[in-house]
Amino acid sequence: MNNAPETQIADPSFEAMIEVGMEIHTFLSNWRHCDCMSTYLARMISHNRSDSVRHSNLFSAAFNELLEIAFRTRLPGGELACKVSRCGPIERVELIIPCTQEEQHFYVETVRHIEEGEGRERYLSSVSGDLSPSREVVLLELVIDYDATLRLEDVNGDAIKLVIDLPLEGLSH
Amino acid sequence: MTPFDSFPRFRAQYDGNNQEFSISGVLRPQSIEELAPSMALLRESIARVRGVFHLNIRRLTQMNNTAFHAFSRVLLDACRARPDLKFVVITSSVVGWTTQKFGRLSGIEPNIAVEEYDREFYPGQSFLEDGGFIPILRTQTKMTWRHERTVLPRHGMRSGIAMADICCGIGDFAVLAQKEFQPARIVALDHSKSSLAYARRVAADFDVRGIEYTYGDASEMLLDDDQFDLVTCRHSLQIFNKPELILKELYRICKPGGRVYVTNEKMSHCLGEPRSETIQWTYDELAKLFAYFNMDLEMGPKNRRYLVDAGFQDVRAESFMVTNLDGDPQDFADIVQSWEDTFAGEMSLRRGDSREFVDRFRQGFQDHIFSALHPKGYAGWPVWVASGRKPS
Repeated sequence: MNNAPETQIADPSFEAMIEVGMEIHTFLSNWRHCDCMSTYLARMISHNRSDSVRHSNLFSAAFNELLEIAFRTRLPGGELACKVSRCGPIERVELIIPCTQEEQHFYVETVRHIEEGEGRERYLSSVSGDLSPSREVVLLELVIDYDATLRLEDVNGDAIKLVIDLPLEGLSH
Repeated sequence: MTPFDSFPRFRAQYDGNNQEFSISGVLRPQSIEELAPSMALLRESIARVRGVFHLNIRRLTQMNNTAFHAFSRVLLDACRARPDLKFVVITSSVVGWTTQKFGRLSGIEPNIAVEEYDREFYPGQSFLEDGGFIPILRTQTKMTWRHERTVLPRHGMRSGIAMADICCGIGDFAVLAQKEFQPARIVALDHSKSSLAYARRVAADFDVRGIEYTYGDASEMLLDDDQFDLVTCRHSLQIFNKPELILKELYRICKPGGRVYVTNEKMSHCLGEPRSETIQWTYDELAKLFAYFNMDLEMGPKNRRYLVDAGFQDVRAESFMVTNLDGDPQDFADIVQSWEDTFAGEMSLRRGDSREFVDRFRQGFQDHIFSALHPKGYAGWPVWVASGRKPS
């Protein structure tokens, strides 16, 4: 695991804050990695927000869900990489998740549902449903409850890059 | 066993007397099987109750979707199986996402209500939150600071420390502390969003950096254990009906070996000459008025006992008197005028005091102002200070 500052970010308006990388098999060795990493990163990036404690709590909640998604990957090799950058009230999380072709298809479909405005209905029906929350529900919740925007970049054979913008500073809750 | 296994996680328990199931801490299981004992307890608890079932998640700081789905599934199933029951989920405004997340259950089952326990909060807060009171709060801090800047080093204040100011109000004490003592870190917490907004504006206007203003409930803070070398809580324990709960939290966030510093008043000891008798009567009545609203403005000399009872060691206690001779006497007069406006105004009105009482009540404040501005007069407002060390 390292947390060196990022040297290249596609959007220059976003300022690099922290970067974490970990071999996926190491990450998958303990479920608590999700909790520990989300708590640590949340504290690191929130100290200069208008309400550091509240921001840290919200960021940790959102980021932990993303890491839990990554934890459920079916591809045992590769590296989990995460970069957090900031532009004004928005934190951008760039998460590279090793995953299978089938999983990549799922992510593409989920983002499509969100872009087509089907997210809210699908999310609400999942809350009242019997099934355990799927990865799709978790991503939909980020959009609905955290006003997040999601997009996919660099979908290739072994990994996807999820880019999530979280405007937590402006959230009312 | 890995190092992770020793981390504190969550707690679930049932209080039969209050028909209340509570979950606290961080709840991020990998699978619902990890929650099996808690889920079983929740089902058993629901089976035992009649009328209203409370699910208390005030102190739940994190809950992942796996856990949320598991607990909400039990609630939704119970709603259908027990239409005779009402379910009330008690959340905290400090962890706002819980209200939103659990609020969705209300839309599915009308028998589920979600209530933020601190929406209508501390009895004294509404009287003091009014924006008109802010200038006087600043004047009060300016006058007490003349004393506290020399008092504080005897109670653990020094440069480079990590400090928290709990119930920081409009944040002016934190600014003064930062300028005078340069702590390495200051977290300033309050439960008034309007006061915090004011504090942030002032900090921005004066380019004051390094103070983390945060919204929170002093009796149930999100701050971690053992973080601060010095925790201050000024003029606040006296307006809470359960000060021991706040002290427990102050103790928790203080580092072992660090100190908790509190100030409180004993308003019946406010004094003035001339016209001492009418002044005395009014401040005696003021203490009774606050007691009516479950606030103890006589707490000052009890500081020491409260700290000892909370488990602190090396408890140090002292007092100082803010007087009309501290700087401009008009500042003192302005403070007393604001007390009269608020206490003989809205508070007295809300208690239902008679016109005759209010007139006499106001007269004591006016006489206090008279003594403050009198060329030979003396007016005082005593403040009690105490601090205790958290055992190492």
